[in-house]
Amino acid sequence: MLAYIIRRTLYVIPVVIGVALVTFILFNVVGWDAATQMLGRHASKEEIAALRQQLGLTGPKFFNFTAALQGPWWRLFDSQWFHYMKQLATLDFGRSFASNQKISTLMLNGIVPSLVLAVPIFLITLVVSITIAMLAAYYRDTWIDRSIVVASVIGLSVSYLVYIMVAQQVLAYQSGWFPIWGFESAKYLILPVLVGVVSGLGSEVRFFRTVMLDEMYQDYVRTAFAKGCTQNTVLFKHVLKNAMIPVLTSVVLTIPFLYTGNLLLETFFGIPGLGYLNVEAVNSTDYPVIKATVFVGSVLYVIATVITDICYAMVDPRIKLR
Amino acid sequence: MPRVALPTFIILLVCAATAGPARATLMPSGQQPFFGTTDRIRGFDPVQASDVYTVAAISKVYEGLYEFEYLVRPYRVRPLLAESMPEISADRLTYTIHVKKGVRFADDPCFPGGKGRELTAEDFIYSWKRLADTHNRSPRYFNFEGRIVGLDEFRDKSVQQKVDYDKPIEGLRVLDRYTLQILLKAPYPQLTYVLTQAETFAVPREAAEFYGAEFLNHPVGTGPFIVADWRWHNYRIEYVRNPNYHGDTYPTQGEPGDRERGLLVDAGKPLPLLDRVTEYVIADDSTAWLKFLAGDLAMSPISRDNFGAVVTQERELTPELRARGIRLDVALQMATFYVGFNMEDPVVGPNKKLRQALACAVDLKKWVKFYNDRLLPAKGILPPNVEGYDSNAPPAYAFDLERAKRLLTEAGYPDGRDPKTGRRLTLNFDLPQANDPQERQSTDLLAHFFDAIGIELKPSYNNWPEFLKKLERKQCQMYRLGWIVPYPDAINFFDLFYGPNESPGPNESNYKNPEFDKLFEIARVMDDAPERTERFRQMEAIVVRDCPFIFLSHPLSYRLMQPWFKNYKYHDCPYPNSKFYKVDPARMNH
Amino acid sequence: MTAPVLDHVATAAAMPARDTEMAVSLWRTAWRQIRRRRLAMTCLGIIVFYAVVAVYAESVYWYYRLRQETPPYKVVHFEDRFAKPTLQHPLGTDSLGRDVLRQVIQGTRIAFEVGIYTSLIAIPIAVIFGALAGFFGRWVDDLITWVYTVFDSVPYLLFILAIAMVVGKGLFGVCLGIGLTTWVGLCRLIRGEYLKHRDRQYVLAAKSLGVGNLSIIFRHILPNVVHLVIISFSLRFPSAILTEVILSYLGVGVQGEPSWGIMISDAKIRLWQGYWYELGGATVAMFFIVLAFNLFGDALRDALDPKLRTAEAKTA
Repeated sequence: MLAYIIRRTLYVIPVVIGVALVTFILFNVVGWDAATQMLGRHASKEEIAALRQQLGLTGPKFFNFTAALQGPWWRLFDSQWFHYMKQLATLDFGRSFASNQKISTLMLNGIVPSLVLAVPIFLITLVVSITIAMLAAYYRDTWIDRSIVVASVIGLSVSYLVYIMVAQQVLAYQSGWFPIWGFESAKYLILPVLVGVVSGLGSEVRFFRTVMLDEMYQDYVRTAFAKGCTQNTVLFKHVLKNAMIPVLTSVVLTIPFLYTGNLLLETFFGIPGLGYLNVEAVNSTDYPVIKATVFVGSVLYVIATVITDICYAMVDPRIKLR
Repeated sequence: MPRVALPTFIILLVCAATAGPARATLMPSGQQPFFGTTDRIRGFDPVQASDVYTVAAISKVYEGLYEFEYLVRPYRVRPLLAESMPEISADRLTYTIHVKKGVRFADDPCFPGGKGRELTAEDFIYSWKRLADTHNRSPRYFNFEGRIVGLDEFRDKSVQQKVDYDKPIEGLRVLDRYTLQILLKAPYPQLTYVLTQAETFAVPREAAEFYGAEFLNHPVGTGPFIVADWRWHNYRIEYVRNPNYHGDTYPTQGEPGDRERGLLVDAGKPLPLLDRVTEYVIADDSTAWLKFLAGDLAMSPISRDNFGAVVTQERELTPELRARGIRLDVALQMATFYVGFNMEDPVVGPNKKLRQALACAVDLKKWVKFYNDRLLPAKGILPPNVEGYDSNAPPAYAFDLERAKRLLTEAGYPDGRDPKTGRRLTLNFDLPQANDPQERQSTDLLAHFFDAIGIELKPSYNNWPEFLKKLERKQCQMYRLGWIVPYPDAINFFDLFYGPNESPGPNESNYKNPEFDKLFEIARVMDDAPERTERFRQMEAIVVRDCPFIFLSHPLSYRLMQPWFKNYKYHDCPYPNSKFYKVDPARMNH
Repeated sequence: MTAPVLDHVATAAAMPARDTEMAVSLWRTAWRQIRRRRLAMTCLGIIVFYAVVAVYAESVYWYYRLRQETPPYKVVHFEDRFAKPTLQHPLGTDSLGRDVLRQVIQGTRIAFEVGIYTSLIAIPIAVIFGALAGFFGRWVDDLITWVYTVFDSVPYLLFILAIAMVVGKGLFGVCLGIGLTTWVGLCRLIRGEYLKHRDRQYVLAAKSLGVGNLSIIFRHILPNVVHLVIISFSLRFPSAILTEVILSYLGVGVQGEPSWGIMISDAKIRLWQGYWYELGGATVAMFFIVLAFNLFGDALRDALDPKLRTAEAKTA
């Protein structure tokens, strides 16, 4: 067991390095001319070169062979890539290009609004969709089940944008029940949370229902019914527990994405979280911010998968034997 | 001065919302809160002020020696932190300025004991050295470049090493605690105007050194407001009244008609009239509009799509809006919008007839109608409210399809087809701002105009930094831009055509004409006089003839205002003006 | 209540012998099963209808482009702006007087282009990597597993935005972005299948006959996993369309041509006055094709391999 945990945890390292590699290639190799943007039109060539120096965009990208040949051998690692790795290891994400603020501060400031929006959506969606899915499983093959299926498929076929736009138009502006935009008090969160829940219900209900029905068609369920167990017992005692495994996986794996913030909800409703930050960064080609958020998001995801796997190992003895 | 792309020129939405619901406010009820909107700003460092929003933010917190009168027209400079207008020597090379006494910086931990220190003449010298120091990477040094004795050398030295701010500069002298003197290399009549600009505002040395790289997030100035909360930079900035403010007062003079409009009610009162200003960054126009309609914002521009529903044919407000007491303010802006040609491009650069043909193909009447009459058609670079504008001269390239086709044939492209390849001539057109529907649709309209003479326009949408980069590198063929004057002097408009100003300078079309340059250099050092105006006219005639631009329009500023928002008057340099605004809490109905 | 009889299709697929023959029967039985369900057939009909519209729209586009003229959906009718629906303009006109219905039809073309190109990018990557990983195992498998774990960890929308930022906006950037972020799921499934199949008798037989590895991978085993590809395609299509809409709203979508995302984004400003046509047209058009693909994909999956319904959740 312990060996499995250690093995699993150690696997995080190559994945994190892989993610760093991907972000590095995307931002340093493919799109590296950030200094010119930061300085603007009136900068001279010398100023641009000086800034590039400061930001670590000069020099060889991966290995510094020329320096290693001329000087001490460890200068091989005097390159952009290793510099970047060092920064990541010390959690120094540099400064935003658009606003010259420390990115770690920006991210810390943005996390609270994102979570305040995302956690309620997550919890409420979870509870409501599992309830509806269980309803569907309970009343399977009746009109209730069918209408739930129809509703959820319709729900997930409508674009997120449309939900948001209609909600803002009708529920906020026309009726005046909710504020239109902003993050001034709890009242401002009700509408975005509502929209987030309603738009996500479709796919969640559909998924959970499928999981439960698949469980219900298993042999052991047939046995239980043959033994004379009631619907309720079967549903709650047997199916729910076993269905929890895929549910748990899917749920835990969405947790890291809570932090990236719901980009659309945040920009539309003016919640200054990480999603809002990211959209602004894209609009102003602020490479360091996106680079940092992509990296941090990936790391959180990887950690979440490790935790899930470890939980699985504790719950399902078969896995340990792998 | 700040360049702004087409639809977003000066959007200072000022909102008043009583809505501060459950939040713990910084002040007890009965005081005056004020909500506005802005765009994301880079920070509060005056030397970094390069776009309208940043300048507006900086102007709330920092001040300069001079500013423009709020109500008086034509625009006139008045002393703000200076005692009086500068004393200019006979040879026009020496300016002596006395700084007001008793002005204090805002309280801040960077000062010993946390109390703001008194402003001295040395503060300005320090601030201008900061501007010149390349380490601060200011994009706004060009107003001082080549003007002040010794400053350029200081700047050059700063490229190699960290400069010593204590070493005196020959052209910036401190005569005593409150008196400074500027020595110029050549006469520079615009200097007084330059001293109204944000990059020359006074910053205290203690704050710059104490905060270092974070200085742009911790402004410490002499202005009417201080920053109370800026936790989420892209969401909201909150300002509160500066308790140390030196007590500048509301103007007592104005234009004829100002008194009747109620603009002099607060004459003589100490500024600012507001206790708190909160500005939101609302990226989406339609959301901002909804907020205005809901009463959360005090002022709003009218977007093109909304125009028909808001303003009637007679240029008045619709009855529903009027019933709510909303007011409409219309003013002509000192700005020109145009399509520019890159004169170094091999296709459009050398071919004057081609450019002229394209100019004749643009139907400005339709263009104006597309924008719901919210602009005046342009026939040259100068707008109507600037001296040098010739209202009698007919437009050089009036809409005339026949003439356009003729010119096109003479240019070597009969029917818009390149005789060498037989295909339609395709021109690349660069624009900023991809996600603006209005920009997209107006570009489609331009494409439609050129399509009528057989030329295909290929638009390329960039975001603002990319667009600037392309211009700097002379990579555009045609581009669309606007020019808003930093200060209301017509000479500014001609910066766009001066040869040495080519990219990466303001002359993005890289237009070079020695005849024009000579006239420009002479006019530049003349004081405002009829001879100068005559030169302006000549310069404009040259530019119109050579056609490096297709002049499109001069925008009209249409603003809607809630009934409880007072003291607004349109100003071409409106950045510090929120100190004059007032809110009437009795009429706010939330 | 009765437990459902496991469809004989599924049991048939579980039998290891006669695999190549099985593949043919699988398709036939699948088709028969789908044909029986009316809903699935309706969806197929809708998809075919949209495909025809898309082909028509594409031909309109190319026709005018080759002749270097302005296509009718781009023609500006200034006097006729914001018209309400009439017989001539069944969905009204937009802010430049352009016909909304024509733009919706062109939007279909863009949607199909997005769906097809993203699949063309994602599916080959997924299949090749999955096949190599599943078949060869050991270090190849470890390497490829590492690669897709890395790609899977990156936040989806953010990564697409980053790619679009770096590579440039427009159709290419969007498709590249969506393609590069969605190949992992299919890759996992294919890898799983190859792991199972490589120990099957027919593969061992081929190997002992001296058939080369690549040949085994692509000529022998691949036909047995093609159904996964088809299901993936039909489920990936609607999600790509929905993502394109969001990207267009954020400004990094298709440029210059009317896509549903741009139409929705443009329509926003007019909502407060009650002009719902542009928004409604694009939304409804999008809704039906997304719905049809989703339902049909489900039916396809049920017919071809019901175990897949929860497969994604179970693969670690």
